[in-house]
Amino acid sequence: MSDEDGAARNREEEPFATDASTRGSLPPDILDADHVYSALNHPRRRYLCYTLLEDTEWSLADLATKIAAWESDVPEHEVREDKRDAVYVSLYHAHVPKLVEEDIITFDAATETITVAEHAEQVLAALEGIGGSLDFSQETHARSEMDDREE
Amino acid sequence: MTGKSDSGTRSDDDPASGADTHWSQVAQRHYEPDGRGGLTTTIVSAIAEVEGVSPTDLKSPPLYESVDVSAIEDAFFGRDVEEASRQGVGTVEFQYTRYLVKVRSDGWIQVYEPSEAEEV
Repeated sequence: MSDEDGAARNREEEPFATDASTRGSLPPDILDADHVYSALNHPRRRYLCYTLLEDTEWSLADLATKIAAWESDVPEHEVREDKRDAVYVSLYHAHVPKLVEEDIITFDAATETITVAEHAEQVLAALEGIGGSLDFSQETHARSEMDDREE
Repeated sequence: MTGKSDSGTRSDDDPASGADTHWSQVAQRHYEPDGRGGLTTTIVSAIAEVEGVSPTDLKSPPLYESVDVSAIEDAFFGRDVEEASRQGVGTVEFQYTRYLVKVRSDGWIQVYEPSEAEEV
């Protein structure tokens, strides 16, 4: 009888014990997906990642101009200065540091240059997999450049 | 010191952090949610105004080192879910360099700086 009690107690305790251990045994690539989703859950960060397909190194100023052009649906030379500055500020203070933290890009503060980092490839692969339909209205520009590349 | 006019009348609303620090409001902005990450830009431009620089010249450290603004944006100004609008209510406070920044769910952003120690 006491054996049975012991077994029952062990079973009851199991749910509490497995929580941490299951999490630890997940394959690393699934855990890595967290980085991808967290990196891409803002349209400006997705735009930024699309630009990395075109070039692996960007000045922050050029990047701000390009993203502002996409967002305003105008050619780069028609981007208004206040719009470009607003994008620049949000890249500098929010989106670039976030992508640096996720190891997707590096940022040289002295030259304000962005380059691809370790996890960039994984993120770009995910972007290609997402497809245009999910983000159609916002990201036709970025997608069309990506698709042009593939032809 | 500029912009202290209204700090005396809002004692119920004074930031609570830093028991011995008195804060004076030095800038205020209203944020219009646009879903494009404009909250960061609005906060930075309010702080830049206090510093007397252009928002693009307010550099180190990035705001991200103090707070993840996207998370505040989601909580207070996030997209509507189904037909119900999200109505997070409250205030988030964080410190950026010497400033205290309050972001309210009604869209008001207030920047405070430490005021001269008051004689007690």
